[in-house]
Amino acid sequence: MNPTPDATTTEDDGSFDPRQAATLLDQTTQQTRRRVEPYPPWLLTIRAFIALVAYGAVWLSVRGQHPYNHPTAAVIPVVAVLVVVNFVATVTVAKRATTGVSGRSRLRPAEIAAMAVVWVGVFVVLGVLAGAGVSHSVVYGIYPATVPLMAAGLVWAGIMAARANWRACCTALAVAVVGAVGVFAGPAGAWAVAGVGLCVVLLGTAAAIAWRQRRSLVRP
Amino acid sequence: MTTEELDPLIHVPTRLKIVATLAALPDGDALSFTRLQDMLGLTPGNLIIQLRKLEDAGYLSSEKRRNGSAQKTTVALTSQGREALGAYTKALRDLLGGL
Repeated sequence: MNPTPDATTTEDDGSFDPRQAATLLDQTTQQTRRRVEPYPPWLLTIRAFIALVAYGAVWLSVRGQHPYNHPTAAVIPVVAVLVVVNFVATVTVAKRATTGVSGRSRLRPAEIAAMAVVWVGVFVVLGVLAGAGVSHSVVYGIYPATVPLMAAGLVWAGIMAARANWRACCTALAVAVVGAVGVFAGPAGAWAVAGVGLCVVLLGTAAAIAWRQRRSLVRP
Repeated sequence: MTTEELDPLIHVPTRLKIVATLAALPDGDALSFTRLQDMLGLTPGNLIIQLRKLEDAGYLSSEKRRNGSAQKTTVALTSQGREALGAYTKALRDLLGGL
């Protein structure tokens, strides 16, 4: 925890120096931004590498398949563990950061439900496609690598746009674009595009949040 | 420009920390009294006194909610409070630029 300057010992005696005030204002603002940020840069950086490793592992398991078949069984536990680690870390950090915070920035039940419906819907459709005998390159390649990113990205972008949270909206749109680009990379390439693209988007978001957290209110 | 032109309600370390903390939250968000106290490291008595002064000036709004047997108090910066901090920050910037 950053120490607060000695200025805090000065009370209503009129001796509070403007330089001390500027330092205290910036320190307090930066500390608060860090403490209530549900997606801190370090977490986004870890998530970026998790995405890279998870999608990369799948890509490594399918890149030599001609014709395309499906990811090997060995890669499934790796991906499952990474997904669980990602989920638990994200929820734990976000919950801790937003403890005691209430108001507009908290997700509403309808917004959580919309995201849940998207995720469930994406995999229900995947099951229907598999049952209908659609080719392996779609069911085990292009669709699972790209459609979840496009669907979740677009719905999340809509939710964030409705909240006028343009930074999060742009991030979500970037995720959807990564998914859309992946569609054109073929069944094996889609995994690589998704992994690298997601990693870049998350690292970019981490950099933007870190810059915002350190920005001074007083000094240029 | 002199330090007298800085808003005396904000230009006090404890109150500046309170206002800066609440202003760092997204617009429309409130913070619970206990989290605010934890973040600022103040005693409840001191925090209550300072919050009251800011609330009397219209810079803060507080809301008490009953949750079972416990009562939860949340505080938020009003638009007037945000404007006051904006003016204070600008005045500080002008002052420091002239020093």
